Amino acid sequence: MNQEELNNKLLEIKDKLTAVEQPADNRIYLACEAENAYAVNKFLFEDVPLRFVIATGIDSDDCFEVLYHYAYDETGCMITLKVFIRDRENPTIESIAPFLPGAEWIEREIHDILGIEFKNHPDMRRLILADDWPEGVYPLRKDAKGPAERPDGEPSTRPTIQTQSPARRTVPLAKPVIAVGPFHPLQEEMEFFQLTVDGEIVTDIDMRISYNHRGIEKISESLQFDQVAFLVSRVCGICSASHPLAYVQAVEELAGVKPPERALYVRTIINELERIHSHILWVGLAGHFIGYDTVFMWAWKYREPVLDLLEEITGNRNNYGNVKVGGCREDIPNELKPKILKEMDKLEKKMDMLTKAVLDDPVLHARLKGVGVLSKEDAIKYAVTGPTARGSGVAIDVRRDDPYALYGDLDWNVISQPQGDVFAKAVVRLLEVFESIKMIRQAVKRIPDGPIAVEVKEIPPGEGVGHVEAPRGETFHYVRSDGGNRPVRHKIRAPSFVNVPSFRASCIGEHIADVTITLAAVDPCYSCTERLAVVDQHSNVIHDYEALLRLSRDKTAQIRKELGTQGIKMEDL
Amino acid sequence: MSVPLNILFWIVVIPGTVVFGLVASWIVRKVSALVQWRVGPPLCQPLYDIMKLMGKEILVPQEAQQTVFMAAPLVGLAGILLFSIMLWRITITETAFVGDIIVAIYLMALPSLALILGSSASASPHAALGTSREMKLVMSYELPLVLAFIVVIIKTGGQLNLAAIAQQTPALSISGMLAFLVALLCVQAKLGFVPFDIAEAETELGSGVLMEYSGALLAVWKLIQAVMLVALPLFLVTVFLGGFRPNLWAGLGKLVGILVLLILIKNTNPRVRIDQAMKFFWFYCGIALAAAIILAIIGNYCGVGWL
Repeated sequence: MNQEELNNKLLEIKDKLTAVEQPADNRIYLACEAENAYAVNKFLFEDVPLRFVIATGIDSDDCFEVLYHYAYDETGCMITLKVFIRDRENPTIESIAPFLPGAEWIEREIHDILGIEFKNHPDMRRLILADDWPEGVYPLRKDAKGPAERPDGEPSTRPTIQTQSPARRTVPLAKPVIAVGPFHPLQEEMEFFQLTVDGEIVTDIDMRISYNHRGIEKISESLQFDQVAFLVSRVCGICSASHPLAYVQAVEELAGVKPPERALYVRTIINELERIHSHILWVGLAGHFIGYDTVFMWAWKYREPVLDLLEEITGNRNNYGNVKVGGCREDIPNELKPKILKEMDKLEKKMDMLTKAVLDDPVLHARLKGVGVLSKEDAIKYAVTGPTARGSGVAIDVRRDDPYALYGDLDWNVISQPQGDVFAKAVVRLLEVFESIKMIRQAVKRIPDGPIAVEVKEIPPGEGVGHVEAPRGETFHYVRSDGGNRPVRHKIRAPSFVNVPSFRASCIGEHIADVTITLAAVDPCYSCTERLAVVDQHSNVIHDYEALLRLSRDKTAQIRKELGTQGIKMEDL
Repeated sequence: MSVPLNILFWIVVIPGTVVFGLVASWIVRKVSALVQWRVGPPLCQPLYDIMKLMGKEILVPQEAQQTVFMAAPLVGLAGILLFSIMLWRITITETAFVGDIIVAIYLMALPSLALILGSSASASPHAALGTSREMKLVMSYELPLVLAFIVVIIKTGGQLNLAAIAQQTPALSISGMLAFLVALLCVQAKLGFVPFDIAEAETELGSGVLMEYSGALLAVWKLIQAVMLVALPLFLVTVFLGGFRPNLWAGLGKLVGILVLLILIKNTNPRVRIDQAMKFFWFYCGIALAAAIILAIIGNYCGVGWL
């Protein structure tokens, strides 16, 4: 189906829509009222069919909006369905989770932060708010108070470790439960998996995230467009080139800015270096998780020169802060080109060795093949992206489907494997490293001279979407501007947010020993997944710098009073 | 052995075994580090670890069966020390006082049994899973281990006495070599080394069987593991490689050689699943040993030494 046929197909539900806009060839905005949302979503997901990306909840002035973002990967078209909920007192909408399990988490999130009810949702527990957060307080509404002012004045706690809701329980509680988390050697970050086991077999899994919220979407609304790029590079340490790039592309689309050619080369090279180091990092961690510490140490040693290169280009090993609206901040000096090429040669040799060692190891075959299979159907239903999808035979890659930066001009292949097991995901990642090396070589050789940025003065009102293939999958950013100097809404969807829920499809029925590597196989990134909590979960932290300073001074004064000493004055010194 | 020497032996043997064990565990860590391009710890690091653990608080889970939980590591330590005293006695004086191979097999199983007891008394689901894995693992490797010793007994003409077995070198034949290799893998499993660290499986069970142990009790488990690092290779040397003949250095060389072999296996393999381990020991090792036994019997019957 090409773009024209897609447009015609969308017209089949014209009578349910209130508006259809097409600002660019591959950007379509549809609008409809809340009562038609279910039917339109079902049509888009099942009949067209489109890939579900994420939903965005917005508190507009006179209504609530829920934006359902879909992608059509054959033409790289992003389709956004805007649903208006006019009833501000009791905002209600039909849940799409019954036929689209990938939407389960985002509906819970929107319920948490905006208070929109989703009818017929299978499991409406809190996802990101603490369990003792008061009912009826919705932090992303425009009238919400700052986190320091919790309405009931009570201290908040961390999320509890009770993950199983009665509605979800498929086995009686008498079954033994193995807790993986909130802190566990398997995980570098806090998250909680509750495995119900029968002997060595896992019969149910439940997850609790949100131990690590920072409220980045809310903070983003209070920063200027230029500052947000730095903020989103802190969404995740490893994807710290992908997030800003996706954001910047969304703003550039909104403002109609075209960055100069050299900037596109720089962006491509940095993003591919990031992919290489992230994939090698995963290989090492996966080795560690199955008790293969030698692979862990070797892989991480091979990763070092890549980080060094990134440091030489941007000044940082992570959190590069290198893209801005209209181009890049730091150029790749021409003197560095031979060094990059040389390092790529060295890396290719090392990775060749490592790949052979990993792919030919019979014990690894026994350990990873047929383990944690995510079928193609499940991959589509849970809307997974990146190597997780490509390992299940869903050959999607934003770099090819909706080319950004330089990817349209480079010669490379999308790696995909049909099996869906952990081994397939490992193969995808290992082979992708070679594709990245290939791309970097081409880009470095062809990089033209010229400026690396154009000046951008005003950001007009409007909206834009940007998506980038991060190492873990598609990173999606949606930005809406009202013509001021800050975004009015900035939605971030990191790949792990859709990849992690797919554990329900891939882990049940597996051995415990296999579940741990399956959990690791999507390369979950929890700081990415949890970028959104707007609220301060542990109320003793107060976001406001002034307030912190005041607290600190008060405490000093208190201690002085207790000790009965006077403060040291300037005169005494 | 003269009387003063005898007294000296009894004074030195237990602390000596522990010191040897700590050095062995340093070797394990250092060689692993070198394989992985790391620097590795200083020589005294295992000792510091034990000392530090000794000074820490012992936490006993509320629902644990306290007596068993506390006694298990001590039983394990007693068993493994007794085992190593026996071996040293044979190695140094070449007279076995109580030691025949059957006793040794029983004593060798004691630390694993103590581990199973202790962890199942600790009332933790992770430890329970670890216990069930450890039990399955013990059942998997004990059978091939005993079969391997049967090969030795056949090769040495029905000898059960360890000192007498140590006078011969069964590994210098096809069946003996097969038995030695299988026994080496069983020792790998007994030590809880990768690929058979299934019961501890840090990244799955968060150290599994040892999860609830802390402080001095954990230090005792670490000591048991350290002593096993010397005792089990020493046992292999005694049974298969002719003991400490022709001299002390050759003996130590064999010991360290086996240790390094174990470490290399440890560092070049991922962890297997428990069902894979069982299949490996029963099926593959079982077949290999059945062949070895037949070869050994034929060799004995026809008087062909190298079979």
